[in-house]
Amino acid sequence: MMDFNQITVMKMANAHMRYQAQRQNVLSQNIANIDTPGYQSKDLTPLDFGKFAQAEARRLEMRTTSSVHQAGFRQFEGPYREEKLRAPYEVTPVKNSVSLEQQMGNINNVSLNFQLSTTIYRKMDQMFKTALGTR
Amino acid sequence: MDLMDTIAISASGMNVQSNRLRVVSENIANADSTGSTPGSAPYRRKTISFKHHLDRETGANLVQVNKIGTDSSQFNRAYEPTHPAADAEGYVLTPNVNTIMEMMDMREARRGYEANLNVIEASKNMMSQSISIIR
Repeated sequence: MMDFNQITVMKMANAHMRYQAQRQNVLSQNIANIDTPGYQSKDLTPLDFGKFAQAEARRLEMRTTSSVHQAGFRQFEGPYREEKLRAPYEVTPVKNSVSLEQQMGNINNVSLNFQLSTTIYRKMDQMFKTALGTR
Repeated sequence: MDLMDTIAISASGMNVQSNRLRVVSENIANADSTGSTPGSAPYRRKTISFKHHLDRETGANLVQVNKIGTDSSQFNRAYEPTHPAADAEGYVLTPNVNTIMEMMDMREARRGYEANLNVIEASKNMMSQSISIIR
């Protein structure tokens, strides 16, 4: 049986979508902490498919030999690395580096990119359906 | 780490902003609350501060209210000899609330709330786009 996710285009669209979802997560943390003293703005490192594949291969989980064992606590970070924003637009006197304009721009960017990957998904889906003659 | 977490993060941001608005409304409501016995202290302005904390379940930086404190600045004085709280010289201590400052704080809370709401809206759109793939 053919796995839908093994097709390169789908795999890449999938990775792209997950990246956007994680980025949205980071950006929403920034917005939530817009008035928190000392909070530094974060963002994800730009999407790099080569690095992504390597990171997936290197991931290690703690092994449990029984279902009642507690899994080791490991802060869940998606496959993409978070980093502090190096050049924030402005830093307030209380050392908060979240700029609403910058964040809103990024969120719009994420929405558009997400739309791109869902469109790719849908088009591929349509293509398969055409090939199968089910539409 | 998915888009549902994003909503929880933004909700925490909305929560602190509404707490802030609550403090502002308390201050404005009590802008004229004086003491009732001669020389007694009037209402003291309240302040609010935020802090970020790591939510271990999602690994995200949520925001929460750090402390609701009081403003230690001096009370205002008004000459009103007939007031029940007037001291021997006829002066009444009035709250250290500056309505203009509270208004500014209110605006800022509203903008912060709005920003978080926009993030939720964006996340919601992304989720409905994902759902529309299978439609």
